[in-house]
Formats: sequence, structure tokens, C-alpha cells
Amino acid sequence: MKKLVKVVSLMLVIIMGLSLVACGEKTVEIKETGSETQSASTNEAGEATDATEVKSEDPVELSIMHFLVRETGTGQDLTMLDRIDAFLESHPNVTLNQEIMSHDSYEQKIKTLAAANEMPDIFFVKGSMVDTFVENDIIAPLNSALDERPEWKDGFKDGIFDDFMRETDIYGIPFALNITSLIYYNEAILKEVGINEFPKTWVEFETAIIAIKAAGYTPIALGNKGKWVAESCILSTLGDRFTGSEWFGSVKNKEASFEDPDFVKALDAFQGLAEIGAFNDDMNSIDNNQQKTLFYAGNAAMFMEGSWAISSVEQDAPEEISSVTGVALIPSVDGGKGEQAAVSGGAGWAIQINPKLEGAEREAALDLIEMLSDTEAATLAVEANSFPASIPGEYDQTKLTPLMLKVEELLKGVQYTPIYDVQLSPSIIETMNSGLQELLSGIITPEELAAKIQKENK
Amino acid sequence: MAQISINKPKRRELLLYIGPGFLIYAFVVLLPIIFSLRYSFLEWSGGKNAKFIGLNNYIELMNDKDFWWALKNNLFIIVVCVIGQIGIAFLLATAMNSKLLKLNRLHRTLLFLPVVLSAVVIGFLWTIMYNKDAGLINLFLKVIGHPEWIKAWLDDPGIVLTSVSIPLIWQYMGLYLVIFLAAYQGIPKDVFEVAEIDGASGLKKMWYITLPLIMDTFKVALMLCIAGNMKVFDHIFIMTNGGPGNASTVVAQFAYNNSFIKFKLGYGSAISIAIMIVSLILIVLSRKVGGKNHA
Repeated sequence: MKKLVKVVSLMLVIIMGLSLVACGEKTVEIKETGSETQSASTNEAGEATDATEVKSEDPVELSIMHFLVRETGTGQDLTMLDRIDAFLESHPNVTLNQEIMSHDSYEQKIKTLAAANEMPDIFFVKGSMVDTFVENDIIAPLNSALDERPEWKDGFKDGIFDDFMRETDIYGIPFALNITSLIYYNEAILKEVGINEFPKTWVEFETAIIAIKAAGYTPIALGNKGKWVAESCILSTLGDRFTGSEWFGSVKNKEASFEDPDFVKALDAFQGLAEIGAFNDDMNSIDNNQQKTLFYAGNAAMFMEGSWAISSVEQDAPEEISSVTGVALIPSVDGGKGEQAAVSGGAGWAIQINPKLEGAEREAALDLIEMLSDTEAATLAVEANSFPASIPGEYDQTKLTPLMLKVEELLKGVQYTPIYDVQLSPSIIETMNSGLQELLSGIITPEELAAKIQKENK
Repeated sequence: MAQISINKPKRRELLLYIGPGFLIYAFVVLLPIIFSLRYSFLEWSGGKNAKFIGLNNYIELMNDKDFWWALKNNLFIIVVCVIGQIGIAFLLATAMNSKLLKLNRLHRTLLFLPVVLSAVVIGFLWTIMYNKDAGLINLFLKVIGHPEWIKAWLDDPGIVLTSVSIPLIWQYMGLYLVIFLAAYQGIPKDVFEVAEIDGASGLKKMWYITLPLIMDTFKVALMLCIAGNMKVFDHIFIMTNGGPGNASTVVAQFAYNNSFIKFKLGYGSAISIAIMIVSLILIVLSRKVGGKNHA
């Protein structure tokens, strides 16, 4: 009897142990082979159980890491996931191991992998990571790859490579043109407090905010837990209003300083918004998805995010909100040196390959990247209400939502200014981002923040 | 007839017994410390290029206001957690050993359950609870009719450290409760009986008899608490990511930010070595508590 109890308990322990191991991974691993009719079935532990492959060429195995999550993805994300599927169909000999996670988790993981020099075969890089990665030979220029495929290279919009170019070397293939700083506003709430047209100047803007707050709404829903929203979606454009884009170039060359009075004025204006109560109290403990939820619930009059949010508004907002949503640019400031109708925009993220790839693997990887950023991808992206990096072909105008048309109208003839966290070093960005949280909470003054940031700019 | 003989293991046998454990310990703990020490003398951003800069990282560290601020945050958390985790656990253990509490086994199990939960899970749970608009805590305050007490628990720089310490206390007081309950078993019952005959009440019993007799365990618990709270990272990372700004940044988070966000791995390693030194100092100081005595 004792022995039986022992044996049964041992079995139970083993079963429990195995079930713990097999469950709950934060990242989703998908192993996909190209044979579409008999797709390789996978269980949670990621073992491919059967695969009949039509071997026309040598089998190639590639690993890719990205943050395109089907359940929560924007229009752009979904288009790219579809293009990955199309790639697998046209390349039956390729096995693609996909590691997918959320955007913020991806940023953390890719930096950790870079520090350990264990990069996947294909991955995404942000502009601010380029310098560090190049310094440590994590990424290599892709000029030769682009020159080998001229049709692909010519299909890109003008200047889209700028964020990822160092001298003449191109260090990433962009896939989207992101405008990072749009104000999405609820026309109904604004009308309620007597504003029929979106404020054109900063002074009008502040007056509007005070009126909206008095009516019991949160003027601007801000979800800055990830620390990048305040800097990427607001300061990048607001800063430029005061300083102009030339100053930004000089700061990168260490010729100008973050302590220059124009930049400090921008910080001051930003803090001014917080002081008149423009933001929600919990701005630093909710993220950019939750800020939109406040807007969708009709509790907030505005939120500030990029062009990627257009499709989110269409998909997730209730009808009564999305039908009254308008878009605007940050208002102009008095005496600012920048182009007052400019907006921060650029490539944001780009795709790269591990420089160690060669031969058939390298070709396959480049094929995938090409399919993610060519004319076909661009056309699909536009029809999904996004802004691709390449020039789209003929697209179906009727697929564009009213909000997308409003944005296209707004952006006609608008100049693009640099996005801070795409072009500055990670060290500066981290200090700026943390510091902005402090600035908006009233812990430090604009001058102190400017000094802190400048310390990293040595 | 059973004969009990005690064999003192020969020296070689001793080494064989301890060997595997020590090897694993050396590989997982000692080796990384040595590597960290080596990296802390470099200026290194993670790849092939590393520059030897001697003690510059440490000099920069001494002058870095953010490091001392993070250390102050850690000390605050340690104080709150010693009072919270050990204090509450001690009171509970005493209550359990008197006739006050029934269902001891049930209480012990329930209190110990949070200890086995993952820190990340607890972080997320409490983030949801602390949420200003939809969180359980603010909802509760509204229900009991005190909406003016509602705060942005994780956003107000003045209270964020306390907010972040509460899940820590909640999670680990079960651990210390079990430790103290075990210590209580070691006290002979006669001592209490004699004291009761002499007329000692509950509180006096606790202060004059129980506390001195479990002082050794108490010191071990104190050491565990200090060491654990110098290392704290996961909960705070999930709840506030060190924010707003630096308000809840602890030294481990500071090392992480410098190493993996700012790509200053040499500096991050120097921070790690500094954390180790400060922890050792604190633990040595803590052993002087309660007068010097055995072990």
C-alpha cells in the first residue's frame, strides 16, 4: 500500500511538472512551413509534427522577431502579417520561426539580445538603436542588397531612408511612414463648450483646454507609462515649433545644446499644459492603448498619437465617437522659429537582417523584407488606412475611411520634422523620456530637465 | 537490536557531498560577480568594442545624484518592509501561538499562498487594483462613501513608493510568518508556564520572553528582508517602471536602465558591484541589532 502511494505521488509530481513547463509563455512561437495545403501543425511547445514539403530549392530556415500581433494590430500590422503569409506561400522551401510579442516588450528584448549579440535572422530596429548597433557590428549596411533589386529600391518614397542613413550607408529598410504627432479630437465635446473650429494658435488651445476641463471632461488623455508618448507624439513636434529643424541638426552635431532658450521654451509650454490640468491624473501609469480607451468612452476630448492610431480608432471606437472624430496638428506658437505647419514624421522602425546570413538564407530573408515593403505591400497598406514607406500602386479609394481621408487632407503640403527618439541616442532619449514624466508631474523645472538632457549629449 | 552509530564523514567524503552544490553556486553566483567586476572597469556598449577606463565608472557613480536617490528609495522600502513584513509576521505568529486565533492551519496556508506567486503576476494584479478610474481600491473608497480619499496611487510621486511597497509586504509576510512559527516550536513550553505562574500577561510574555529567545531567528529574518529588498526589481518594474520619472526607481532598476536602455553596460556593472557592497554593509550592521551575541 505504501509503495502504491509512493508511485502514484511520484507520477502526479511528474505530470504537474510537465504541465507547468508546457504552459504560459509570454512570447508566441509559430513555426510555419510554406506548404499551404498541408500546413504543419504545431502544439504549444512548438514542435512541427508533420510537414510535406515540395522541395524545389534547398530548405531554408529563418528566424524572425517582431511585434505585429494579429489580435491588437493596426491596419499596417495586419497588412504585414498578410504579406508574411504570402511570402510563405511563394517560398515553400522556407521554414520561418516567428517570435511575436507586444511593442514595448519587443523594445526591451531586442536591446537585451543586442547586448548579448544573439540577434535573430530578421528583426526590426528603431532609429535610435542604429548608432549603437552599428558600433557593435550588430547590423550592416544594406546598400548592396538594394542595388541588386533596383525596382524595389526605386519604389520607396523620397527621403524615407534618411532616419536610417549614416553618411551614404543605409542601415534599415523602412516599411511605414509614421506621422507621430496628430491630435485626434471629439468634435461633439468641443462644440459643447462653444468651439466650432479646432484652435489654430497655442493661446487659443490653452483657452479651449480650460473650457473643456470646466465642463468636466479630461482635455487630453495621455498614456505615458511607456515613456515614449510624451516625447514622440507631443514634444517632437512642439519642440520643433519653437526651435526649428536646423537646431535639431546642430544638436546632433553637438554644436547646439538642449539648454538653448528655444528648447527650454518648448519644455515650459509643455509643462504649462500639465499645470492647467490638461492631462489625466494617472498619465504615467496607463499606456497608449488605455489613453485611447478614455477617448472612446467619451470622457476625454482629445488624445495625441501617431498615424498608426487611425485604424485603431476605426476598429475599436464606438460609432458615436468615431463619427465625430477629427484630426488636427499641434497649434502654432507665437514667435517660434520652426515651420508652424510642420509635423514630426519619418520611418520610425525598419527591418534588418543578421549580417551573418549568407547564400540562400540571405536571399530568402531579403525576399521577405522586399515583400513587406514593395509596391504591393504599399497598396494593401493604404487600403488598410495606413501610410507605407513605398509608393502604392492603384488603390481602391472606397476602402479609405472618412478619418483617413481627413488625415490625408490635413497632411497635404505639410513638412516633416525629425522624430526625437528615432534620431537621438538611447542614452539621451531615456533621460528625456524619464525627465518628461517628472516635468509633467511638476517635480523638476524646464531648465533642470534641459540641463539633465544636455549632460547626456556630451 | 538497532545500534545507532554516528559516523563523521571523512574529509574526502565531505568534499564530494558539498562539491556539486558548490560548483553550481560558483558558476551561477560567483563567476558573474567576477565578470561584473571586470566589466565595471570598462566603457562598453555591449558589442565588441570595450575601452578600459579604470575607476572612472566608480567615480562617476559616487557623483551621480540619481544613484543616491535610488539608494534612498531602497532604504525607504527596506524600512517599510521590515516593519511590514517582519513586524506583521511576528505579531501574527504570536497571535497564532496564543489562544486567540482559531483555524491556525488555514490561516497559515492562506497567508503563505502569495509567496509562491510570480512577482510579475502580482505586479500586474496590483497595477489593475491601483488604477485610478476602474481599480478596486478607488472603487472601494467610493462605495464606503469617501471619494475624497481617492488618489492616483501609482502616479503621485509623494506616495508611489508606499504604494509599491504594499504588494511587497502582502506577498512576503507569509514567508516570515512561517519562519517565526517554526522558531516558536523551539521554545520549551515550561518557560511560558513558569512565566504565567509569575503573572506575566500576553504583551509582557512576548517582549521579555519570546523575543529574546527567538532573537537568532529574528536576525536571520532581518538579514533576509534587507537582502531581498535591496534586490527588489520585478514588482516595481511592472507597476511603474521606476516612474513617474525617478520617483520609484530602485538601484536594481537603475542598473537595468543604464545597462539595457542606455547601453552603458560598464557603468551598469559598476552599479551592480556597488549594490553588492552596500548590501553587505547593511547586513553586517543589522547583525549588531540586539547586542552582540552568538553567531
